[in-house]
Amino acid sequence: MKEKKHLLTACLCLAASIAVCCITGANFLKARELPMPQNGPGVTEVKMLSDWFSGLKGTHADTPVYVLRGAEPGGTMLILGGTHGNEPSGYMSAFTFIENAVVDKGTVYVIPYTNRSGMTHNDPGEGNMQYFTLQTQSGPRTFRFGSRATNPIDQWPDPDVYVHYPSGQKLSGSETRNINRAYPGRPDGNLTEKAAYGVAELIRTENIGLTFDLHEASPEYPVINATVAHQDAMPIASEGCISLLLNGIEMSLEQSPTNFHGLTHRELGDYTDTMAILMETANASQGRLRGATSQRQVMGGQDKCYELSERLGMLYVPWTVNGILGHPIEERCGRHLQGIKEYSTAYSNANPDKPIVYRGVPGYAELFLNADPTYLGGSILGSYLK
Amino acid sequence: MITIIYRLIVALVIGLVGWNLFTEEKLTNQLNCAMVLIPLILRLLMIK
Repeated sequence: MKEKKHLLTACLCLAASIAVCCITGANFLKARELPMPQNGPGVTEVKMLSDWFSGLKGTHADTPVYVLRGAEPGGTMLILGGTHGNEPSGYMSAFTFIENAVVDKGTVYVIPYTNRSGMTHNDPGEGNMQYFTLQTQSGPRTFRFGSRATNPIDQWPDPDVYVHYPSGQKLSGSETRNINRAYPGRPDGNLTEKAAYGVAELIRTENIGLTFDLHEASPEYPVINATVAHQDAMPIASEGCISLLLNGIEMSLEQSPTNFHGLTHRELGDYTDTMAILMETANASQGRLRGATSQRQVMGGQDKCYELSERLGMLYVPWTVNGILGHPIEERCGRHLQGIKEYSTAYSNANPDKPIVYRGVPGYAELFLNADPTYLGGSILGSYLK
Repeated sequence: MITIIYRLIVALVIGLVGWNLFTEEKLTNQLNCAMVLIPLILRLLMIK
């Protein structure tokens, strides 16, 4: 009788385990189906990164590339969103550009999920959400909140020490899955290095003149509300930065350090002919000083712990901008999109034979300065999404 | 190759934990086994 009882409870426990596996397994598998941008009026073609580097075909690192070709010839520009999946203003700016831009001169390439594999999982240890929802023109639309690093299902194990190719620089082992430490990449490297190589191949093949990499960082990180530019891009970055300051956008400009390897603003400038620019905004959901992670924090950019941190002088950015508390997604995307606008204008001024001219993309004023404050935190941004 | 070896090890551990689940007489220990099985199964199937 006793033996029958423990066999019965064992069967029940096993059934419960399998049920949990089925439910959580379905959830994890669904995370591999990523929400994609709707084609805007300027999208002329949607390609895959494997069209430039076939080694990515069939992998979770192969990612869509949206091509917006203008009616008139001109320069070429690449926008990298989603380098880090836990920095939503990067890929949400890319979504907004794809769904609104009309290119008149030149060609713009946009990759919304540069590290696509990183978008297929998240960091539950950070208390991060899997999804967030915005009210858009077509109703509620759900977006992924991903991870900084490639999914370990796609690339593992991490070495104890990550040795960057080709510089030989040594970094923490977990950085081996960070695509912004993998440039210029290599065709026979790990999956993250292959994805980085694919981006570099796209730049080389399409002769991309100007490349943007869109990021966010915690408010207590020194390089924030900042642009980092390769030395070749400094003249246009300086001109663009002055325009941003004149538009009331606080932006610092730093030249890419020569001894910090693997990042877009260093390696893409060194190993291709593009002018590489990286921008950072303030994301409360990434910081060590934050409270509970929530949609209000990720989209609204508000956090009581950061309000206190500012009073204690622990932040590198003001916590109240234009009378608005925190850094809502509209302010962060507005900075990125206005930055792209000003830097590409500076590029066109410096290269009159290769102009990049586009319209229809909301900037800092439309998304933030002139917006009704009660709708900040996702609704204003959503109104520009299909 | 390393993935195959890893999955074989995981499968072996699943077998041992499953054996414990059915031979263990205390309910609390059975529940422990059942909980340990969840991440192992998801790893074996390369889902998480």
